[in-house]
Parts: sequence; C-alpha cells; structure tokens
Amino acid sequence: MSELNLTLKVWRQAAHDAEGEFKTYRLNGVSTEMSFLEMLDVLNEQLIAENEEPVAFDHDCREGICGMCSLMINGQAHGPDNETTTCQLHMRRFRDGDTIVIEPWRARAFPVVRDLVVDRSALDRVIAAGGYVSVNCGSAQDANALPVPKQDADKAMDAAACIGCGACVAACKNASAMLFVGAKVSQMALLPQGKPERTARVLNMVARMDAEGFGACTNTAECEAACPAAISLSNIARLNREYFKAVLTSPR
Amino acid sequence: MTSLIRALSSTIGKKLLMGITGLALCGFLVVHLSGNLLLYVGAEQYDAYAHALHSQTILLPIAETGLFLLLILHIALGVITARENWAARDVRYEKKKSKVVETTSKGAPNVASKWMFLTGIIVLMFLLVHLGHFKLGVISPGDPDATEFANAARILSQGFTQLVYLAGTLVLGFHLLHGFQSAFQSLGINHPKYTKGIKIFGFIFAVTIALGFASFPVLGLMGYFSGNTGSPPAAESVEAPPAETPPG
Ligand code: HEM
Ligand code: FES
Repeated sequence: MSELNLTLKVWRQAAHDAEGEFKTYRLNGVSTEMSFLEMLDVLNEQLIAENEEPVAFDHDCREGICGMCSLMINGQAHGPDNETTTCQLHMRRFRDGDTIVIEPWRARAFPVVRDLVVDRSALDRVIAAGGYVSVNCGSAQDANALPVPKQDADKAMDAAACIGCGACVAACKNASAMLFVGAKVSQMALLPQGKPERTARVLNMVARMDAEGFGACTNTAECEAACPAAISLSNIARLNREYFKAVLTSPR
Repeated sequence: MTSLIRALSSTIGKKLLMGITGLALCGFLVVHLSGNLLLYVGAEQYDAYAHALHSQTILLPIAETGLFLLLILHIALGVITARENWAARDVRYEKKKSKVVETTSKGAPNVASKWMFLTGIIVLMFLLVHLGHFKLGVISPGDPDATEFANAARILSQGFTQLVYLAGTLVLGFHLLHGFQSAFQSLGINHPKYTKGIKIFGFIFAVTIALGFASFPVLGLMGYFSGNTGSPPAAESVEAPPAETPPG
C-alpha cells in the first residue's frame, strides 16, 4: 500500500445564491486503496479538526448503483475511468503530488445547492412527465404471458441500466439530457408494457426536458463516454425516432 | 399543424431540420463540385456547361431559391441552437477534458463536433465572398464579356483569393467531417448494420468535398490558369467580335 500527497482544488459555495470560489487544500498520506469519496471523507475529517466547514458532496450506496454521487474530477465526469462512478473510482488512479480539480456538475438545469451538491430534480420531473407505465395493482401476471423477443429484452435491460446520475448532462458541451431521456424512453418503448402510453410518454418527456433548460444534442458522444452505466448513443437515435413517430401519429 | 410546428421547434425537431437541410446542402455540393471539375477538362467544356446551366431560365431560379432557403434555415437553426446550448451551461467548468479521447474506442475523437458553430460561421463568410465573386459580381468584377472559364481563371489566380478559397473549402470539409454522419443520428438512423458504413462514407465524403474544391485554388497557385486570365480563350475569340460590334 502506498500513500499519496495531494493538492485538492475544490469548489466551495455556502448556498445556492452565495458566491462560490475554488479553495485549495493539501491532503497528505492518502491511501491508494481508498475510493475517491473516502479520500473526501478524510479531507472533511481534516477540515472539521481545523474547525472549518466540511465539503458537501452527494453520495449514498457507494457501490456504483444508486446514481447519487457525481463530481467533475479534473474536467471529467466521474473522473478518468470508463463506466465507473465517482464512488467506485480509486485513488490508485492518481499519482503522488497530483493536483485534483473537483467541481460540481454544471448545467442551468442543475443549480448548485451547496459546494459540490447540485439539485438534479429536473431529471425527476422529466420522469414524472411520462417515464413510467400505468398498471393495475394486484398479483403479478405469469412471466411468460407477454412474449418479449430476447434482443428487445436485452436492449431494454441495457437502457434500464441508467442510474440517473446526470453525468451525461455534466459531460455534454450543451448540457443536454438526451442520453438520460433516450434511455428512459427506450426501456419502455422496447417492451410491450410500455406500448399503451408510448406516444404521450415521449412527447411529454421531451417537452419537459426542453422546459427544464437542457440543451440540444450535437452528437459529440461525450455523454456515452462519461456514462458509468454504458448507455449507448443508439438510445438517442431511438428517442429521435420515437419522437418523430409520436409527432406524426399523435391525435393532438 | 400547430402541434407539428411545436414539435419542429423542440430541441429534437430543430436538430431534425438541421440534419435534413445539412444533407440537402451536401447534395448540392456534389452537383456543384461535379460541374466545376470541368475546369480540369477544358475551357470549352466548362463554358458549355455554364451556358447550359444559365439557359435554364425556369429551373435555375427555382433551384437557386430552394438552395437559398435551405441555407437560411440551416444557418438560422444553427445560430438558435448554438445560443440555447450556451445558455444551458450557464457556468463554465474550470477544467474540461474529453472522455471520448481518453477512454473509449467506440469512435475516433471527434474534434470537429466541438467546433460546428465556428466552422459554420467561417463557411458562411467564405460563401458570402464566393457569391460576391461569381453570383453578384460585386467583388473584383471583371470584363462582363469574358467567358465563365476566363472569369473563374482570373479570380482563382489572385493570390489572396486563393488563400480565402483554400481556407473556406478546407473548413467546409471539417464541418462535414462531423456533420455528415451526425445528420443521420439526428434523423434517428442508427443501426448496428449501417452506422459504421455511414461514418466511413461520411469521412470519405468530407475529404472528397474538401480536396475537390480546394484543388481549384491550388490549380491557380500552380499557374494552371496563366495565359487564360486576360482575354477570352482562343475558341471564343472567333465569335466574340460580332457580339461586340453592333450591326450597322
Ligand atoms: C454548404 C454549407 C453547409 C453544409 C453542407 C452543412 C452541413 C451540415 C450538416 C450535415 C450538419 C449536421 C446536422 C446534424 O447534426 O443533424 C451540420 C451541422 C451544423 N451546421 Fe452546417 N452546413 C453548412 C453550412 C453551415 C453554416 C453557414 C452554418 C452557420 C452558422 C452552419 C452551422 C451548423 C451548426 C451550428 C451545426 C451543428 C448543430 C448541432 O449539432 O448543434 N452550417 N451542418
Ligand atoms: S454513491 Fe451510489 S452510485 Fe456512487
């Protein structure tokens, strides 16, 4: 086990409407076996010991499945690794003496709450606009009652891997949420359960996405590269198709 | 109808229109390049083509109007989406690094996609100069009786113009390096069987368009037109005098 001495340049902002600024901290003796968030825990212990406010950052499961952690690490969403959340990023990825710049997700639709915490409820509102299926409650029907081709089930499953962390928005030069919305529309459009509400779903979710102030898609593929769940760009193309189809065939 | 207009003004609708207009403009580029490749064949053939084109008194104005509308729509949407996209990221990052370049093997690092607005504006400025030369005749107007070949030869022999045309056409190629395949994705066309082919074709298309058009100022640079720039070429000089001396 080796140890790192790091310089951290961290965005500090006391509240949403407060002026923010970068503060530089020295952190010594960081174990390479720590996760990135554990390294921030150590920083916070140090800050508390010095009677300073600890750095606020989002996290929950710390095992890469909940989508709560975020952070722009040296200009990359969730840091340098592919298909990895910040909580699963390890300090062995860094070198002794490194300077690490840590920023919150930046998007007009993601206002900063405090320090590195941003409000991602714009994504929840997009889901509330149609990212669900309405089903009757009661006992679940037989699993084989609805035949689903294996290929479709696989594609729907791949889309459903989205953990809604917002890295796609953070990495996109346009702060576009197209990969997120593409995944959420695709996972239902591909399955029979999603068919009844298919048209209204895509129209309402796209309208909400635009109203929240996310940008358009330039197809730069930065989102796909930043996505910890490996959501593919083909979901954006499917979103486009779903949208055109819905526009042309919707009763309204 | 209103729902259709609303849909086309959504972020997805605007990109659909940009893709369609962009590809239609690509179609024009093919026709335009093919016609101008006659510069290589000879003055006579080039002038015959120009004459045939300009004698289309009905079709040509219709085509030109359509082309103009496509371009205006593409530019207007380009400016509108660019502004909205900038607004969507109200605070810039202190540090930003591409992860496409860093970690993925899924696609070549797509630098061109980050510069679409700037390359678009440069192409627009080049287009204005180009139209000023060949359509409106307001920039460096020549002898009105000169043949089309002589006129092109004269303009393409000017040192500074050569640079402008070289830069303009190469930047257009850079715009298309991303633009061509991007338009298909915007149209919802992404399929494991075809997308790779579309990307390869788009690359070849962009390079062909750029090198094809850029070769004309290069011809000028290499002195291909010297001797052809002043008076009309020999073939025309036989017919020219009657036109210049009115009967009686
Ligand atoms: C012959 C001229 C031109 C051709 C053939 C052309 C072609 C294209 C194509 C095929 C695309 C891809 C569309 C998509 O991703 O759906 C595109 C995108 C774009 N074009 Fe052009 N273009 C031309 C001129 C211009 C001009 C003059 C501008 C001036 C502003 C411009 C601005 C843009 C912008 C900003 C985009 C990117 C939009 C985005 O993805 O966010 N283009 N162009
Ligand atoms: S904390 Fe749950 S994904 Fe990182």
